[in-house]
Amino acid sequence: MIMGKRQLLIHGSELFLFGLLAAIPGFINNPYALGLLTLLAIYGILLIGLDVTVGYLGQVNLAQVAFLGLGAYTAGLSVTLLGMGMVPALLLSLVVGLVCGGLLAFPSLRLEGPQFALGTLSFSALTTTILNEWESLTSGAQGLSIVRPPLFGMHLKAQGFYWLCLGLLALIWFFMKNLLSGQWGRAFEALRDSPIATDAMGVGCFRYKVAAFAFGSSLGSLAGGLYAFNFLYLQPQSFTYDLMVILLLGVVLGGRKSLWGAVIGAMIIVLLPNLLSNRFLFHLFAAVGLTLAVVAAVRGRLHKTTPWFQALAPVIAMGLLLVGGFMIGNTEDWRKAIFALMLFSVVVGLPEGVMGFVGRFFSRLLRMAPRTLPISAPLEVVLPQLSPGNQPILTIDALQRHFGGVKAVDGISLSIRSGQIHGLIGPNGSGKSTVVNVISGLYPPTQGKIYKNGTILPTGSLYRVALNGIARTFQNLQLFGELSALANVMVALRGMYRTPFFFILLGLARSEEQKAASHAMALLELVGLAGKSATPAKDLTYGDQRFLEIARALARRPELLILDEPAAGLSRPDIRQLMHIIRKIHQLGVTIILIEHHMDVVTALCDHVTVLDGGKIIAEGTPQAIKRDPKVMEAYLGEIPAVQQEQAEEGAC
Amino acid sequence: MNRTMILQMIVSGALMGQVYALIAYGFQLTYATSKSINFGQGELVMLSAFFSLTLINWGIAYPLVVVGGLLFGAVLGLFVERAGVRLALEQKSEGWILLTIILGLFGFSTAENIWGRDDRPFPTPISSDPIHIFGIGITPLEVSVILGVFAVMGLIEGFKRYTLLGKAFAALAADRDAAGLMGISATRTIMLSYALSGFVSAMAGILIAPITTVGPTMASTLILKAFSVAVVAGLDSGFGVVITGLVLGAIESLTSFFLGSGWREAPGLLLLILALAVRPTGLFGKTTIRKV
Repeated sequence: MIMGKRQLLIHGSELFLFGLLAAIPGFINNPYALGLLTLLAIYGILLIGLDVTVGYLGQVNLAQVAFLGLGAYTAGLSVTLLGMGMVPALLLSLVVGLVCGGLLAFPSLRLEGPQFALGTLSFSALTTTILNEWESLTSGAQGLSIVRPPLFGMHLKAQGFYWLCLGLLALIWFFMKNLLSGQWGRAFEALRDSPIATDAMGVGCFRYKVAAFAFGSSLGSLAGGLYAFNFLYLQPQSFTYDLMVILLLGVVLGGRKSLWGAVIGAMIIVLLPNLLSNRFLFHLFAAVGLTLAVVAAVRGRLHKTTPWFQALAPVIAMGLLLVGGFMIGNTEDWRKAIFALMLFSVVVGLPEGVMGFVGRFFSRLLRMAPRTLPISAPLEVVLPQLSPGNQPILTIDALQRHFGGVKAVDGISLSIRSGQIHGLIGPNGSGKSTVVNVISGLYPPTQGKIYKNGTILPTGSLYRVALNGIARTFQNLQLFGELSALANVMVALRGMYRTPFFFILLGLARSEEQKAASHAMALLELVGLAGKSATPAKDLTYGDQRFLEIARALARRPELLILDEPAAGLSRPDIRQLMHIIRKIHQLGVTIILIEHHMDVVTALCDHVTVLDGGKIIAEGTPQAIKRDPKVMEAYLGEIPAVQQEQAEEGAC
Repeated sequence: MNRTMILQMIVSGALMGQVYALIAYGFQLTYATSKSINFGQGELVMLSAFFSLTLINWGIAYPLVVVGGLLFGAVLGLFVERAGVRLALEQKSEGWILLTIILGLFGFSTAENIWGRDDRPFPTPISSDPIHIFGIGITPLEVSVILGVFAVMGLIEGFKRYTLLGKAFAALAADRDAAGLMGISATRTIMLSYALSGFVSAMAGILIAPITTVGPTMASTLILKAFSVAVVAGLDSGFGVVITGLVLGAIESLTSFFLGSGWREAPGLLLLILALAVRPTGLFGKTTIRKV
């Protein structure tokens, strides 16, 4: 395959970066510079790990500093106490991070936002306490001295150790690039944007959240091992909250979801102390920062793209940094305030980080063509024709679901035949959505059973229901907003990703990726979104978002597809398009449960309709029969004789 | 080692726990209106204590010092809301976590440089000679902590229940969009909640300063325990924090006695992680139903 301009540029700049970093000790013979470079490689590894949780999972993770400490002490103690060599000691550090990270992920599994941050913060504080107080093992606040162990019998000097760290950074860069550019990276991001849909699309929150946290943490503790063999002296105070804030600065400033960003972030962290110790450099830096902030603010306000606060706050912060810089006596004393001002300006003014900005700038400068679209696979390969059969595919038996005293579903028995479009209608609050949420596993039933093809269907787990060939869309859209339309569909493809984990790390999953992309393209074509495949889901129009949900559900190759009010809020032309899509899916033999308020859509599409009211079934039959059913009319329009009576009275007045 | 000593520790610990409860209550105020909390709240406690100390050194009378300190805390709370929270809430992002951490760091550094790194005593007219009840010593200072905590919490709770402005809190907590449609300004209510939260943490700072002395790090462990009380009780638990504060304070005091003072923070941290694992809504919190 011929490499495109984009590929060539990416690979070329990566090779250049590592070549340059490896060659520097050759022409600069300065122990101080070598120390900085080694630290750069170590923090690079750590930040790539931190980026998995902060960037991909989108959580504020305050535990990475604890994993750095745990890894450092593990490596240090396994050398001093157990006499291990470098390789086993580093491997042990990695494993400790993997295991502890996985374990910590369990309590954090159901948590979002502030709770996640608090959980990880507590873990960090607890780790510091243990390192400080378990004196018999760690010698506490006194510190632990280590002798650098041999690597395969060789005693590494500073330069050799640097190359080891750099080599590991390159290896991890390669592995993580392969991992994060494929299904794993997509799954992490899906988890961030909608945990509910991640489960409902059969991807599984549990597995990926634990894995993301374990991977990220293991890189932190591997960096810890290297940190121990670099400094050869460890103290619990080194791994506190302050360092954690600086590490976050690295990820955010460098740019999230980017390996380059992590290394740039590491560079900033390493160079910051030097920047602070040199007054001239510091003023220069503050002046450049202020200029950038002012330019960005003026541009943002001229184009009216940034709100006032977002434009002005970085200017004020950078101005404070510049003016304050001339007023204070010693920059070192104000270190934390300086970090705070910088971090504040970046978080507010440049949320995408340096790399996000540079990436956009370069692709515009070099006029890079957008990525070529994958060629779509034939639809009959993606969605093989199912035989209609007309058997009962889903049987619901005396289903109940109560919320406190509210009987949302109150004893419903229903049978859905394969190959049919089965309508589920009823006034608001009649229990339609609850029925569907119980079938798809969001709520466990209070009582009753559900059978699919004669065997009992698992309840109370979106994920396990999804594995049983049932897919759904959501009334309130649950798309993976930041992912492209194509990636939204790719992440849900069933039975596609079979490459073993280690082969993925080695980059051997490319053909599988291409196949996945071509299948996803075919589904996007089916719903008319082929031209918008690269657009992030959150930027699609409302109608297109509804169609994308259908394409994504079809990626599950479901036997049974549940559409929860797909026409809600759609315009007339969009509704026609929707009906067209549903007919096509029906022709492929997929059974459909359609919840809908638009009676014309229901009448035109459904083979069979069930009407609910007050959590009970009040009518069943063909759409035509339902329309004439007096009970249905009553449910929708109120008691008819009473209305007539009122009208008669009004007439009499 | 006798029973009185253990009882003494339980009582002193439980009393200290009320300060954690008060700070945790401050988290509840902002969480109710905006589902956000100030991760730099500890710095608010510390800065307000330092500010009050400065007022005392200027020779201002103690009651006026308290008023000044509380107002200062409220102003800081407003600043945090404006600089760190509002934009992120408008963008519906969780950027406020990072931004409030950053503002806290800035406050910490500023305090270090203005007031110095050393711990300083906080003079107060209230006596610290213990009064013995059944052999257990309680100082008037500790009593003042309890009274102060209950007074502030009672006052704010009364405001929330009996004034129209206060009821806006509950309305916003229940349904932000509906509250907006009923003419309640979300922005203004959130501002008010941050001001009150700053007010509450200033109170905590003034109450605890005579006991712990004042220094830049005075609140760095305090805040961890306040987090833990808030999470274990539940971020919408109301007075649940009082009971949790009592229990945590007592456990902590016993741990510090039996295992050494270095382990003091451990039970709170462990309880926080456990609570998140077992019951993320907290012991006294309400569970909600997911809707899609």
